[in-house]
Amino acid sequence: MKYILAVFALFMAAPAMAETVAITGARIWTNSSEAPLENATIVIANGRVVSVGDAPAPAGARIIPANGGVVTPALSAAATRIGLVEMLSAKDTDDRAVASGPLGAAFDVSRAVDANSLTVQEARAQGVARAMLLPGEAAHSILSGQGALVRLVSGPDIVSKPRATLFAVAGRGGAEVAGGSRGAVWTLLRNAMDEARTYRTRKRATGPRDQLLNHMDAEAVLPVLDRRIPLAVSAQREADIRQAIALAQDYNVRVVIIGGAEAWRAAPELAVAGIPVVLDPLDELPVNFDMIGARRDNAALLARAGVPIAFSVSGQGIYLSYNVGPALREGAGIAVANGLPYAQALRAITLGHLRVWGENTGGGRLAAGEVADLVLWDGDPLEPASAPQAVFIEGREVSRTTRQILLRDRYAPQKVLP
Amino acid sequence: MKYGSWITGAGAALGIMLASVQPAFPKPLPPASVPYAVKPVRGAYQPMPRKDVLIRGATILDGAGGRLVGDILVRNGHIAALGQNLDNANGVAEIDARGRWVTPGLIDIHTHYGTYLLPQTAAEADVSDVIEEGDLNVADTWIEHAVRPQDPTFSRALAGGVTALQVLPGSSALFGGRSVVLKPVPAVTVEQMRFPHAPQGLKMACGTNPANGSARRGRGANSRQGQIAFIRRTLYEAQHYMAQWEGDMRGRKGHAPRRDQRIDTIVAAMRGDLPVHLHCYRADDIATWISVLGEFKMSVDVVHHATEAYKIAPLLAKKNVCAAVWPDWWGFKREAEDSIPENAAFVDAAGGCAIMHSDIPVLGSLLHIEAAKAAAAGRRAGLDIPPERAIRWITSNPARAMGLGGEIGTIAPGMNADLVIWSADPFSIYAHADQVFIDGAVAYDRMAPDKRRVPDFELGRPQREDMP
Repeated sequence: MKYILAVFALFMAAPAMAETVAITGARIWTNSSEAPLENATIVIANGRVVSVGDAPAPAGARIIPANGGVVTPALSAAATRIGLVEMLSAKDTDDRAVASGPLGAAFDVSRAVDANSLTVQEARAQGVARAMLLPGEAAHSILSGQGALVRLVSGPDIVSKPRATLFAVAGRGGAEVAGGSRGAVWTLLRNAMDEARTYRTRKRATGPRDQLLNHMDAEAVLPVLDRRIPLAVSAQREADIRQAIALAQDYNVRVVIIGGAEAWRAAPELAVAGIPVVLDPLDELPVNFDMIGARRDNAALLARAGVPIAFSVSGQGIYLSYNVGPALREGAGIAVANGLPYAQALRAITLGHLRVWGENTGGGRLAAGEVADLVLWDGDPLEPASAPQAVFIEGREVSRTTRQILLRDRYAPQKVLP
Repeated sequence: MKYGSWITGAGAALGIMLASVQPAFPKPLPPASVPYAVKPVRGAYQPMPRKDVLIRGATILDGAGGRLVGDILVRNGHIAALGQNLDNANGVAEIDARGRWVTPGLIDIHTHYGTYLLPQTAAEADVSDVIEEGDLNVADTWIEHAVRPQDPTFSRALAGGVTALQVLPGSSALFGGRSVVLKPVPAVTVEQMRFPHAPQGLKMACGTNPANGSARRGRGANSRQGQIAFIRRTLYEAQHYMAQWEGDMRGRKGHAPRRDQRIDTIVAAMRGDLPVHLHCYRADDIATWISVLGEFKMSVDVVHHATEAYKIAPLLAKKNVCAAVWPDWWGFKREAEDSIPENAAFVDAAGGCAIMHSDIPVLGSLLHIEAAKAAAAGRRAGLDIPPERAIRWITSNPARAMGLGGEIGTIAPGMNADLVIWSADPFSIYAHADQVFIDGAVAYDRMAPDKRRVPDFELGRPQREDMP
């Protein structure tokens, strides 16, 4: 709740913009209520929402008639890899992870972000305004590096908060790195906490510091110990999720579960611990031995128990970098089809930066004074067949002309686009 | 479902099956004595227990492009009638489907079920049954020899409305081996899942994946030009082999060559007895392969993945080559760099045959949503693609491409009663497959979870039990 209140503080200066825009006659989901406003008008100016509801468009405003469309807060991808990779199969275009070298926790993906990546262009055009970019699994460390929050405004400056989380890989991926056992992951992770704590008191001392973490890695762990950033833990299996809960309690650190296929089995404990889960609503198959309990009502069960949820739809890895927006909406739709209330599903794909990662300076709610991150959709946004008609990020309408759109126009059948 | 009833009495339903089988072989079979003669296999599949039924008042997409609000009468596992206010003379059970939708059972033309076995473990990462990796030409391998019916993925596909699917070999060989067409019913052996008398197909692959396969093996063609040279070499050999055998048949004794089962498969495909399924992404590659195979009078029946099919849509239509695609995968590899969501719609608009495929397990229960996305992209590009048109991409088009268009893929009298009753418009994310019929039997019922047969792997797993 403190995150929500902080949004109203409005301490971040918005870029100056003269244009006032009004979207009229829309169904508007504000994230502040369980039902939408019907036939409503939203006015934005200077990067902020001016009004939502019955207030008419001010004189001189650019009017966008919704024509039966739906307005929602823009999408927020709670765990993604856009901007870190161009082509998954081409190693030299892939900056997601460190496969060798000295870096572990100290690896900082914000220094690899490429705002010109087509993955960013496409995500922006598809209505994604906010995203947490998580590193890929490191080859030699269970601490894979530090994730960065981005906001997909046009231009090169998209990182809004570097080093916003520290990412640890538990379960089968982590076990491989830790020496072969899932248990070794937790020993090493606990040791990292202990060593970082020790390192703080000794960092000015001279002489050898005999520990597994080098000083760069130890520095990267300190913000976790200080609860300034959460520790993101990739874990699917119930046992690992319970280990993560225990770690959060024993070290008094904030933890976010990434994956959480079996999180529904620990829903009450996660709720009590206040640990958010970023899950994939399409999971229903025992893809590996960590996911035997995967089921499509995971989101509904967690939400019912009071666990904060957000979505990250994998599509066997493809959707982590491509089609992030449509995949999020498809996941939310599947979650609704399996029992999650609609308004909660919408929050799970528009409030991840806030509810999971605590970034309280961005959009996510449509109310007077809020940052104007919003999308006008041509239909129900949870139907993957729907698409954005207009995307505003920090009050500015962004281009929806992607390289794919240009290819489409170049090769369209003659009768379609003369 | 008692599986005892369908592992015994293999002949019981044979009459019914024969009544509907219309094998789509373009040429008469060669004499059975040549080794490349194709003999479609009946297998041991038996329909599950079934009753005649009359489905009333549904919005019906017939799979052939038609749409009506009406009734479907199912008798003896087949569609007996389709129309409005059908007479229920025999007083069979009726299903009130007013407000719901009915489509043909969905058909997935590209899966690796039972070979990309879930759950995947490190063991499978080292040695996989998706394809034999020993050589660039493994045309003598039959994927049916590897399929494990207990793969949980079959059950999820069924719950997603899939009633027939093809398991294809992977793409690391140029000649990847023979495919098999299955029904996603509970089974112990692959024969119990086999679609009776369905033609096998030949999997081929172009471009990066077989090149990487060669690179891993340290031998074989690792370039596109090398692949074409290899293919030509192999097909000349196949022509020679065929001539020798047929010369032998005409009484020129002593000419019969030593039997080569790799060439047997390739000759069968050259003769049109095995549909050719080509893994290929780029427009230039696809055009080259169509042309080179054409030199040997060999056709490509379906090009799979085909992320650039839209660039050569008229060529594909002219050559009767279907394109089996994803709606929205792009960018993940060099060959997919120009993929666009309108791909299927543009193929369709050119008069071609568009198909949605899953390839990966998670998409296998979402074929209808894949089609929804692809159709919506086409509509936004100005094309008229109503639901009754888009449904063809996951029903009649793949059925025809697999040589099964006379049995499945459309709702019409005489066709197999493979049907899905959807809770809503099947192209909506909120739609559930309420009931899935295979050969007139309810193979999946959303309202009767207790009657569902859990795959052996999932049996007794504490992770799958509800929390106390």
